[in-house]
Amino acid sequence: MLLQQILNGIVVGASYSLIALGLNLIWSITDIADFSQGGIYVMCAYAAYFVITLAKMPFVVALLAAMILGGALSFLFERFLYRRWSGLSRIQLLCAIALFFLLANLAILFWTAKSKIFPPYLKGSVKFAGVILSYQRIMVVAIAAILFVAVYLFIQNTKIGKAIRAASQDREAAAVVGINIHTVHSVVFVIGGILSATASVLISPLYSVFPAMGDLPLIKSLVVVILGGFGSVAGVLIGGFGLGLVEALGGVYISSAYQHGFAFIVLILVLLFFPKGLFGKV
Amino acid sequence: MKKAKKLIIMLAVLLAAATLVWAGAGPGEKAGKVIKIGYTAPFTGSAAEFGTNGWRGVQLALDEINAAGVKVKGVTYKIEIVRYDSRCEPTEAVANMRKLALEDKVIGVLGDHCSSCCRGIAPLADEFKIPSITIECAADNVTSPGHEYYFRMRPSMGLMAPLVTPKIIDLYHPKKIGFLGINDDYGRSFNQSFKDNMAKAGVSTVVEIYFERGNTDFMAFLSQIKAAKPDVVMYVGVAPEGAMILKQAHEIGIIPAIKFVGSEEMGEMELVSLAGADAVEGTYSVALWGAVDPSFEKKVKDKFNAPMHYAIIFAYDALKVMADAISRAQSLDPTAIKDALKKTDYPGLEGRIKFETFDNYINQGRYTPAFIKWEGGKRVAQ
Amino acid sequence: MSSTTLPVKSTRGRLAGIIIGAAVLVLLAVIPQVTSEYITYVTVLAMIYAVLTGSYDVLTGYTGPLTFCHGAFYGIGAYTSALLTLKAGFPFWVAFPASGVMVFLFAVIIGYPALRLRGHYFAVTTFFFAHFVYLVILNSVGLTRGPLGLGDIKPPEGFLGIDFSSLKASYYLIFIYSIIVIVGLMFLIRSGIGKLLVTIRENEELSEAIGVNTSFYKVLAFSVGAGVAGLTGSMFAHFFRLLHPTTFAWMTSEMVVIMSLVGGLGTLIGPIIGAGIITLILELMRFAPELRFIIWSVALIAVLIIEPKGLMGLVRRIGGGRK
Repeated sequence: MLLQQILNGIVVGASYSLIALGLNLIWSITDIADFSQGGIYVMCAYAAYFVITLAKMPFVVALLAAMILGGALSFLFERFLYRRWSGLSRIQLLCAIALFFLLANLAILFWTAKSKIFPPYLKGSVKFAGVILSYQRIMVVAIAAILFVAVYLFIQNTKIGKAIRAASQDREAAAVVGINIHTVHSVVFVIGGILSATASVLISPLYSVFPAMGDLPLIKSLVVVILGGFGSVAGVLIGGFGLGLVEALGGVYISSAYQHGFAFIVLILVLLFFPKGLFGKV
Repeated sequence: MKKAKKLIIMLAVLLAAATLVWAGAGPGEKAGKVIKIGYTAPFTGSAAEFGTNGWRGVQLALDEINAAGVKVKGVTYKIEIVRYDSRCEPTEAVANMRKLALEDKVIGVLGDHCSSCCRGIAPLADEFKIPSITIECAADNVTSPGHEYYFRMRPSMGLMAPLVTPKIIDLYHPKKIGFLGINDDYGRSFNQSFKDNMAKAGVSTVVEIYFERGNTDFMAFLSQIKAAKPDVVMYVGVAPEGAMILKQAHEIGIIPAIKFVGSEEMGEMELVSLAGADAVEGTYSVALWGAVDPSFEKKVKDKFNAPMHYAIIFAYDALKVMADAISRAQSLDPTAIKDALKKTDYPGLEGRIKFETFDNYINQGRYTPAFIKWEGGKRVAQ
Repeated sequence: MSSTTLPVKSTRGRLAGIIIGAAVLVLLAVIPQVTSEYITYVTVLAMIYAVLTGSYDVLTGYTGPLTFCHGAFYGIGAYTSALLTLKAGFPFWVAFPASGVMVFLFAVIIGYPALRLRGHYFAVTTFFFAHFVYLVILNSVGLTRGPLGLGDIKPPEGFLGIDFSSLKASYYLIFIYSIIVIVGLMFLIRSGIGKLLVTIRENEELSEAIGVNTSFYKVLAFSVGAGVAGLTGSMFAHFFRLLHPTTFAWMTSEMVVIMSLVGGLGTLIGPIIGAGIITLILELMRFAPELRFIIWSVALIAVLIIEPKGLMGLVRRIGGGRK
């Protein structure tokens, strides 16, 4: 059972890390804890669901469509809402929360609170050492890994990536040397939206699609961002997988009812010793 | 923008929205004689399923009743339903009840669906003297100790468990049993009732796990169950949770070695539509209805294109019983209606409906729960 | 730093404010006599929320840190008071202050380490804290009866022949409580301590540099706000007489934040008005369950777009104060 739980924890952790990566980027560059990603998570799951069931397209198409939607929504929110209150992070935070609420409740309005089952795109599982792991679960980790590498390479090697890194280190200085902060912000939000969408579409086939599906992933991912510390990709990875493992193991060996409370306890413990998160730079 | 203008616009935004909704969705002026009946149920939130289905049942009954109207002392009345959302929160349910009784001045109330809400409004039924019929609260303490003005048709947990336990024992002869339930009053009282009844029959409980409403990942819990090796597991919650439990139980390989028996929600069509016929095949479930008249099924399908659900059945019956009581009382006085309700002997969709006072229960219907098996994607009454 | 809070009023504004305030008080005093039971009941809830948001404003509006856990303190106070009377047999008049004190102490204990965190870390942490408290209340079934609900709470013991199980008596009790608390908070704000809190909010580093012990004052504001929330929770528990964990889930903390924002943080009166308006709107919207929260979030975004300083911000601008 221990091995099974560890593997479960890794899969869950991968999804947290994915969303957290986007949140981390956004938060460290723009100072906004973007709760709206939780709403985007929900909407993209529904979009993918309809692409598969109504338009009868294959999974890959649905995934791409969701990514596009996620990036677009995120971009629009930044461009037409957050940007109005440049520098007023409290208002931006409240707006983000309102957007999260709004999207989740629109989902209830349009599609009711009933769960929708996402058709599996890959059947079968691998069995070894008394453990069973479905291929879909393996895909979550695999695709998450690919995206992590992609985002990392993007930030290290492209011109915009360098601009992003500059802005994360020193916003004002970056502006002084002529980096267009607005562009940086837009790119960062688009990346965040794409990551949330991907996490959502990868997770949906494992469970189901329903309006409140974004609540817990959002909260957990926020915890991961704080745990790992701003501006640190390694922090997100370790925080994400770490949290996934703690929840999986804690849920079994300590208490099932408090499974979702472990996130908080871990957070407090880490913050006591590392007030800036494990690898926080800001 | 001028300062004053901005203030006006702001206030307008806040109030216009509310007024718009109020005008559009509030109870309109109806010509003719009207009887107002209240309905409190969860229409939003995690339990929205119940309210949605309940409302379907109420609407069906409403159409049929209003086609002929309700005759009281020679005057024909139409029934009007005033419904409010309780979101499965007792504080909301209590507020709804207050509003229905004090503002809308209803003469009868239907609701609620969640046990915690029913417990909250039952004493208010007595306080305001409005006869109220709950649609489907399961916890015992809703009618035991009971209230003079609060009625329940469906069996409570305490009444159901002793009737269903022998069936499970006959089927599987378990020595060890496990429970996987939703962490709320319903889940806990369900498990407790069955635990007690099983213990009386010599079956010991080896694992008891609770999960949060809306949980979708049961891998951890199922692994625990796998390690504890019960013969039978009773799983309690709503259909989406049940679907995930069964699917993941298959994924982790404990079905069919461990037998899964579900709570009432797991006997509903929604389970199979969410989990797929393969996942539910061969499992059993407690159910609140075995079969229902095909003409009723057709009515539901034609009007709503939705699968049958016990909330539809119970809500339909509840409104019919209320109308029947008003008609027998030949009065619009809530107390007279309450007295008539106590004498109800009505042919419901699932059998005769009577409210009795016995043991510790007041105004409780006696009703044998069903037990169904999933075969080929269909529920087969046992 | 934050520009959603407001400076001190002008004299003309003050006079207008006093007149309006007096009118409101008179209105509230006569409501149970002239309106229906239902409106009386809703007004009680509005007053409770008003005090809750007022206490929140002292913390967040005046001192600065944004928190999302006020509902949790409210809940802890409510359950503490209920359990003290139900299980330990204390009378309400002992349980009531005891709850306030206990929540205050609790806030001090968690406040000291928590307030060392920087702005956003702190805000999001309070968010989780609220959820965690909810989980504890939900799962301590032996103590709080969790989702089964804690009922049969008794109303405050009467005296001089007053029976607090009656709606009117409860109304006046809570009315007087609200006045006392709000006046008390006003004095706090106007006092030296209050001004210190504002300077901390405006520029924490500068305050530290001139020797102000910012930690102490932040924890003080945090704990006083929490303590008042706890007292209010006790009032609620003995008025409503039924407690359920969902009443204190993070939605409630959310609501307090939104009410404060709509009214205008940092004005004390603003959030109180915000609480009143929003309770009213939610009541009107009881008819449309599906649309309630959508209209809610859209209205909030609209408020943020039009005037982030809330209603009071607009009033200020009209009254001719500086922006």
